[in-house]
Amino acid sequence: MANPLRLPMVPRALRNLVSKPATRRYPYEIRPRFEGARGTIEFDVDTCNYCMLCMRRCPAAAITVSREDRIWAIEHLTCIGCNVCVEVCAKKSLTMSKESKPVHTHAEVGPHGERPGHEEWHKEETQAAEPAVQAAPAVGGASPV
Amino acid sequence: MDSASFLARVGDYHKAGWRLALINVTTVIAAPAPPHGAAAEPAAPATDAPTADAAPASQAASVFEIAWAFAKDREFETIREQITVGDAVPSISEFFGAAFLYENEIRELFGINVTGIGLDLQGQLYKTVTKVPFSHQAIKARLAATAAAAAAASAASAAAAEKKA
Amino acid sequence: MKRTVVPFGPQHPVLPEPLVLDLILEDEKVLDAIPTIGYIHRGLEMMVERVEYTEMGFVVERICGICSFMHGMGYCVSLETIMNIEIPERAAWLRLIWAEISRIQSHLLWLGLGADAFGFENLFMHCWRMREQILDIFEKTTGGRIIHSVNRIGGVKRDMSDTELAAILVQLQDLGKQFKKTANVFGTDPSIAHRLGGVGVLSMEDARAVDCVGPMARASGIATDTRLIGANYYDRIELEPVVETAGDCLARVVVRMREIDQSIDIIRQAIDKMPKGEGMPLETKPRGNPMGEVFTRLEQPRGEVLYYVKANGTKNLERFRARTPTFANIPAMIKLVKGCELADVPNIILTIDPCISCTER
Repeated sequence: MANPLRLPMVPRALRNLVSKPATRRYPYEIRPRFEGARGTIEFDVDTCNYCMLCMRRCPAAAITVSREDRIWAIEHLTCIGCNVCVEVCAKKSLTMSKESKPVHTHAEVGPHGERPGHEEWHKEETQAAEPAVQAAPAVGGASPV
Repeated sequence: MDSASFLARVGDYHKAGWRLALINVTTVIAAPAPPHGAAAEPAAPATDAPTADAAPASQAASVFEIAWAFAKDREFETIREQITVGDAVPSISEFFGAAFLYENEIRELFGINVTGIGLDLQGQLYKTVTKVPFSHQAIKARLAATAAAAAAASAASAAAAEKKA
Repeated sequence: MKRTVVPFGPQHPVLPEPLVLDLILEDEKVLDAIPTIGYIHRGLEMMVERVEYTEMGFVVERICGICSFMHGMGYCVSLETIMNIEIPERAAWLRLIWAEISRIQSHLLWLGLGADAFGFENLFMHCWRMREQILDIFEKTTGGRIIHSVNRIGGVKRDMSDTELAAILVQLQDLGKQFKKTANVFGTDPSIAHRLGGVGVLSMEDARAVDCVGPMARASGIATDTRLIGANYYDRIELEPVVETAGDCLARVVVRMREIDQSIDIIRQAIDKMPKGEGMPLETKPRGNPMGEVFTRLEQPRGEVLYYVKANGTKNLERFRARTPTFANIPAMIKLVKGCELADVPNIILTIDPCISCTER
């Protein structure tokens, strides 16, 4: 039978009263993420050759690539951060940044059809503000009408 | 399967001090032919993805393959049996007390009739949307749906490419 | 006497995950317990029908957050066996080190949950404070705190430099010293001894009869440890299974506490024995599609896990089955719950270290 007066937690509890807390005051004091932590996928549109390998290897089907339309799009809310697309990219267009995206507080679709976590790039000299604008004038005079 | 000789073999494992490690069922499905167009994706540069799409030798339909696996220290052995749909399988609860959980599971997920389960849970172990999700019909239905979706997607992309051209 | 049926779960303060036990009571005594799982059955085994075998590893990792690394490793080892891939030596050692770190993480998490279940909030916070250091190690070395995604078929994706490994070892040994003080509380506090000592005794014969695995079996005096089969470089490590003979809830706590020290020692041995240097090969690329079948056994923090993989030469596997340690320990839990007092049920359920996500997949 253990000695009922033996209280090994008491000195510990007393020390806790006077020592510094082990936690941080989170929203005011944020620990930087470690180097090499997997956060968000970043894309460099200039080097991409639209080989579509990332799209086919993505286990979560978060990436959509269209070779014809020159569109590269990612759903950040579907992305599982497995780093596979970064590994397979032959052109090194994809990188994994250590910062995570903040939590999305609104699920509504925006005025131009923006969805939370959706990002897309078009291969044009000047990046079009609205995705709808770029299709027709970009081809210019080459289009046989 | 011959249940008397099967139970005798299980009894031998029990007497020799083996531990029941797993009762596993595989639903043997003859692979369907790949849908038109679904396999014909343009090959990307620098890919080492294998493109072999050879369908495996088709097997007799509606067969379950059951493996009773036993472990003892470093050793690991299995008893394999093939049964057709509708066959009953004898329970091995009398030798291995833990077998009831596996047997209830294979009855609920595969629809195999197991006779004489030690603790019969009356089909309330799992709560699944599809009843008997690993039956031949359910798997074939899902495979067909996946193939149809892939075919539809490739048809849509082909149509889009044509429109573009 | 009148019988009462008390549903235990799916929401219960001690349960981290939904498990339902219909307890049939006579007065305060439990006569029978009928388990129901399936509240978080996600059909992950079914996903092999539409997920390619190279991507399935990421699905398998998500079977459970606590044994995430071991699940990914087990899947990759299974596929490597089928496809006859020899993984580079350093990759195998790195896997072993990460596996042992995740064992420490799991045991610390469980000790905290256990302390919380028998009303020791302060102890719970200390265990989880220590666990946080382990998660930091994971974030530094693999990039993820819970889902590590470093295992690929044929090796691992990241390396740890030798200085980093040495620093990790120092940190872990320091953690081991801190943990000694906490272990002292678990071992000597009279209220813990009252609450857990002699409760839920599983004798060695009973443990053999219900085929239980892992710390549960070792607390009942069975010297079983799947690491002893020597796969995955465990044959190069000196390893003695941690065995307690009492078989009660306290013995199961003690086994897990001693395993933390054992894991730190295994990591020390592994760092000593692994080949040193920078830029060593870490991956052998798989070629072609797998064909064949395999059973793989690993020792997870909760006990032996078993994977069955059957591949038919296409990109999709024909069958993937994971028999997780909790699945094997549920019969033992039901056996223990029968005949105990209602107030002891939470402790008994918790000391098998249930992971219902693992069980249901």
